[in-house]
Amino acid sequence: MAAVMWIEVLSSDGEVAARERIESDEARVGRAFNNDVVVADPHVAPNHLRIFRGDDGELVAEDLGTLNGLYAEHGARRMTRLPLKGEPGIRIGRTVLRVHDSAHPVAPERLLTPPRAHARWDAILGVALFALILFLNWLNLTSEPSANVVLLPMIGLAIVLFGWAGLWGLMSRIFLGQAQYPLHLRIAITAAIAVVLWDLLAETVSYSFAWREIADYAALGAWAILAATCWAHLAAVQPRHLKLEVGLMLALVVAGATMQLVTKAETREQVGQRATLGDLRPPAFRVVAPASADEFFKDTSATRARVDKARLKDPPSGGADAE
Amino acid sequence: MRCPLAHRARRAGRYTFDVRHLLVAGLFAAGAAIAQPPPAAPVAPEVQQLPLSTTAERVYDHAKPRIVQIRTLLQAAGRQTSIGSGFLVSADGMAITNYHVVSRFALDPRTYRLEYLAPDGAKGALKLLAIDVGHDLAVVKLERADLPYFAFDPRALAGRLPKGERIYAMGNPLDLGFTIVEGTFNGLVDKSYDERIHFSGAINPGMSGGPVTAGDGRVVGVNVAKRLDGEQVGFLVPASYAAALIERARKGSALVVDKAREEVGRQLDAWQAAFYEALRAGGFRSSTIGPYRGLESAAPWVTCWAATNADQVPKPRTAVNTTRCSSSTGIFVSDLILTGRVELSYSYYKAIDLNAFQFAKELSQRSGGNAVDPRVGKRLTGQECHDDFVAAAPSRPPLRATWCMRAYREFEGLYNVTLLALTQDQDREALLAQLTMQGVSHANAVALGRRFLEAIEWQR
Repeated sequence: MAAVMWIEVLSSDGEVAARERIESDEARVGRAFNNDVVVADPHVAPNHLRIFRGDDGELVAEDLGTLNGLYAEHGARRMTRLPLKGEPGIRIGRTVLRVHDSAHPVAPERLLTPPRAHARWDAILGVALFALILFLNWLNLTSEPSANVVLLPMIGLAIVLFGWAGLWGLMSRIFLGQAQYPLHLRIAITAAIAVVLWDLLAETVSYSFAWREIADYAALGAWAILAATCWAHLAAVQPRHLKLEVGLMLALVVAGATMQLVTKAETREQVGQRATLGDLRPPAFRVVAPASADEFFKDTSATRARVDKARLKDPPSGGADAE
Repeated sequence: MRCPLAHRARRAGRYTFDVRHLLVAGLFAAGAAIAQPPPAAPVAPEVQQLPLSTTAERVYDHAKPRIVQIRTLLQAAGRQTSIGSGFLVSADGMAITNYHVVSRFALDPRTYRLEYLAPDGAKGALKLLAIDVGHDLAVVKLERADLPYFAFDPRALAGRLPKGERIYAMGNPLDLGFTIVEGTFNGLVDKSYDERIHFSGAINPGMSGGPVTAGDGRVVGVNVAKRLDGEQVGFLVPASYAAALIERARKGSALVVDKAREEVGRQLDAWQAAFYEALRAGGFRSSTIGPYRGLESAAPWVTCWAATNADQVPKPRTAVNTTRCSSSTGIFVSDLILTGRVELSYSYYKAIDLNAFQFAKELSQRSGGNAVDPRVGKRLTGQECHDDFVAAAPSRPPLRATWCMRAYREFEGLYNVTLLALTQDQDREALLAQLTMQGVSHANAVALGRRFLEAIEWQR
């Protein structure tokens, strides 16, 4: 019984350039026209390769004595015989081939989301984002309202969101062949909502528990949201080296967050903390019980210890006496 | 607003301005000299009949061999970085000047050195014998013997000089040459913790540490400062403090130059201990600020001012009424450090048409923290803060409070402390209280801070 095998010739950017159905247990590959699969690559021999079924029925590739030899797709070692079980890729010359059995498993069918559905979500999220920002602006409005103050930042934000989604759409177009603009826009708007809510939450918790550090380091959460957003965009683009690119993106985000922390630490070293009550909320938001005066002033000893320690260090540079 | 008078190097623009004025004044003086015959030798018994300017001539003649310019030189360059004046008080060369004239040398004797310049052109090195940081005085010594010197006016030492008496300030203003300025003795400054003579006359940078004498040439005070927001409002250190410091310099061991900084620290510590004790002794009372009550010092030298935003245009959305009380104390420690001030301020905020969230936002912006001057990083550490909710007693409103402090790098145990407290009992009105203490020990800061927090109450 002759089983069917498929041989795919890949283009230089990884796309399938040709796909041959072989209804035999053996196939020959090379540049000459007496082969079953003809490869137009000057680094491939006229009769380069024989693919056949071994004794156990699995496919095996065999070098027919060539100059440039036979390699696994990602392998660095030259092979004479290459079993193709589980690893269907072969490299000859500059060409990559993939050999599949008819029993080769394929990914399940993906559900097609109608494009309109994305757009509807985009609209809902967009309205939610701008309503949220308008509401927060109103809560923070201490002067007379003016269109300039309220609308200009919103227009700025809209431009940034559309621009950001557009860049990712371009990436999708290049790697995936379709822009997926509504999907990217949806990711961007979701991220913006997450950042706004995170900031609100961090400031409120910082007030409620009288815990200054939460507000001080809330930016780390925003960086994490940025990392998650980039991951979502990348997953949608599906580049060839997804893991590598996700790693690179993560490294960039971690570097950004670290830079910010270092700058913060340097500023603190030089001028210290500001005498401020932080971002206040109405008194009903207080959660912790107030300390007694005894406890409060006892805790100032720790503050004293910190400045006493700083006193013994060299003053930061740039703090010279002015004439 | 008080400005110590040691003359520092200035920017070129400002300096040319000074030079231009010098030329105009010089021409005018030359014209006057041509028109008038040379002055006759002073005739002592007829002082009353002589025109006033003749007294000034006599006073200056008497003072001329007894006054010096005191210059702080950069060791490396051998050039002056600041100048002041001084005057001899003993035959063996002891002279009085201001601490702020010699402060650079006292705090950093490796970078600076002191030199005097006499009106006759004589120059020489100066030794620093004693300092009194609180009264801004110092005793220096010239290496010369058998010098003429000033006596102190016994009426001034006993505090019996009459208001309105003509007195004469001398020194070398702006390095323009030795100068005598006629002015009026106006008694001690009211509402001042430090004893300071109010001198109505023009004293200028460079005259710091110069003598001020009565018409008979005896010293009543030492030039120290002037107000920048007034005209001809000068301040003198009373002669009694100079006399006391001379005594101390004679009896005690001379200041070891490398230990001068420690001495400054000791004196600052003693000064703040006495000051906070005087503040306690002066008493406190409860004052009303809107529906709240707060702490107010009853000491006569703590003065209060009020401000409001009621007349602001456009109409504010929050009404703010502020009371600010401060001791008008200021101690010059070094070029960037003025210390010794305490200030209590209360601002009562009431929302006019803001909701609770908007009001909280307004308060966050108003309590946005003091700007930290990065230049003082050499003298003070960065600021560290502790914040929490505090309730001094169950009957008192809960407060959101922040305690911030910076340490003086050169003086152990002294801090600048800011205590901010905001009442947290009402949605749309609040009292923001701020206590600022400069150059204070931790214990004194905690004691006053505690009193300050415990005094905040809701009185309705």
